[in-house]
Amino acid sequence: MKNNKRYKLIILFCLCFLAVANVNAQSDWQVPAKDNENLSPFLFDDDMILEGRVAYENSCTSCHGTPGQDDFTPMSPPPGDPAAEQFQAQSDGSLFYKIKMGRASMPKFEDAFADDELWNIVAYIRSFNENYKQQLPNMEGVEIPVYAMKLSFDQNVDKLVVKVLAEELPQAEVSVSAYVMGTFGKHLLGKAQTNELGIAYVDVDPALPGDAEGKVNVLVKATKEFARAKVQQDLAIAMPTEIHSAIEGRHIWSTDRMAPIWLKITFFVSVFGVWFALLFIVFGLRNIKRAREES
Amino acid sequence: MNMANKNDKSRRRFLQKLGIAGASTVAGSALLLQGCSDSNQASGNKVKVLTADNKLVEVDVAHLKPGDKIQDLSYLQKRGREGIPGKKFVMVVDLAKCKNARKCMKACQSAHQLKPEMHHLNVLEMEDPVKKTSYWMPKTCQHCDNPPCVSVCPVDATFKRQDGIVLIDNERCIGCRFCVAACPYSARTFNWTEPKNSDKMADVTYDMELNVPQKKGTVTKCAFSADQLRYGKLPYCVSACPNGVYYFGDQNEDLVTNGTTKKTVRLSHLLEENAAYTLMPELGTKPSVYYLPPRESEG
Repeated sequence: MKNNKRYKLIILFCLCFLAVANVNAQSDWQVPAKDNENLSPFLFDDDMILEGRVAYENSCTSCHGTPGQDDFTPMSPPPGDPAAEQFQAQSDGSLFYKIKMGRASMPKFEDAFADDELWNIVAYIRSFNENYKQQLPNMEGVEIPVYAMKLSFDQNVDKLVVKVLAEELPQAEVSVSAYVMGTFGKHLLGKAQTNELGIAYVDVDPALPGDAEGKVNVLVKATKEFARAKVQQDLAIAMPTEIHSAIEGRHIWSTDRMAPIWLKITFFVSVFGVWFALLFIVFGLRNIKRAREES
Repeated sequence: MNMANKNDKSRRRFLQKLGIAGASTVAGSALLLQGCSDSNQASGNKVKVLTADNKLVEVDVAHLKPGDKIQDLSYLQKRGREGIPGKKFVMVVDLAKCKNARKCMKACQSAHQLKPEMHHLNVLEMEDPVKKTSYWMPKTCQHCDNPPCVSVCPVDATFKRQDGIVLIDNERCIGCRFCVAACPYSARTFNWTEPKNSDKMADVTYDMELNVPQKKGTVTKCAFSADQLRYGKLPYCVSACPNGVYYFGDQNEDLVTNGTTKKTVRLSHLLEENAAYTLMPELGTKPSVYYLPPRESEG
């Protein structure tokens, strides 16, 4: 009897521990103070919310479910519903940091999304909070330069050369990230900072396949504080590759549509030839029989 | 008198009928003209669209009739047979990440109108008799570059396209199930009974890229969600996975995108660095689905 009670106590203790551990696991995620206070340089508007929604539906719905529906995947620690109070109580900077850096089963989206795209997702999450009022950084006296970018390729060292200018003047210490646009997503080529001449070099793998002329679609983004710019263009930076159809040539599984004309002609000529020979013989025999009967 | 009355009546009736016919002709043509002038009125908003013969043309938004072609069976059949030029689709399955969440199967079954016991994609528990461990393996059609199922089909119902996808046309399928027997991966399944929601799907035009509506007495299989790929979207299973198991992409670009994180990586690097393998390579079927081995510590 005493033993039984003890077991019950132990089980109760374990359960309590599990529950506490679970809650701890959620609140345990420490965000550096600087990142926690980070604010979006963009005003969350409908465009941002829409773009954030697309990104959310593609990358977050599978675990976090549809916001407001509480239909997230049961995992440990639970991913939680972004529309829930616990989620919305966090600062913008904290949400941004957590999406960007990830932890355990929460993937790290740093390479998949650029900063502005991450802010889109934060804007989308905030759209479910009626009481939310966006806190904007102090922009008084801040002048935001307008960047222009020139892309070229240095064949000798296999590097993409990005020149960042603002009003014809080279811009130093600008963060540049270059991507190759694939069918379903963008592949990070590399990140670099511009030097005093406003030039950043990004390594390009010479084995990367391009089209017949070696062209690939390249996206380059430049950011420095509140200034940002992006440019997308086809550049001959990759290896020229000849693309073959998966059904090219003849195979055992090819359909008759792929058979060459000479084969079709030979086939039909020989088939009809054999039939003609057979019928010639049969009619010949019939004629002989008739001739005998007549005589 | 009677006769005269009759004549009078018939004349009157004739005139009445003539009047109605005339009025309706005038009204009908007016409506038609109205319709014509409406559709000819340009809104000024121009969009670029790709025609069926792969030409980019600019048309006015007002002249677009959405869904016309999507309803047209012969257009869908032609599009499904031809495939997407310049692409060669591949899938990479990272077995170390699969936790048997089965979200991929659920998404697949709801997209392709499949009953719970029918699978285009199945997550199997694989046991390693030497290490005494087990792991989960999602298994789908391997979209072989040398497909035995296509060789045996007597009616050209199952075929391979230029983008590497092996599809089935259930308008041609006679239900002989030669392909089911020929497939070494048991990737195909047969509609023994009326498909799920067949009454609701009765009026839907058949799209072989989605293989919906399903038809009783025909074979069905994974289509790599060819209908999604056409719009640059990832397959249903790939985007439904919560664990980052699936990578999907174009071999010609050497890029594959993870369905969960959306991270795009080089296909050749991913395969080389993780010792990727294909199922039953000794058969020479050359699958388009690659597997990254499970971790030894996980079981």
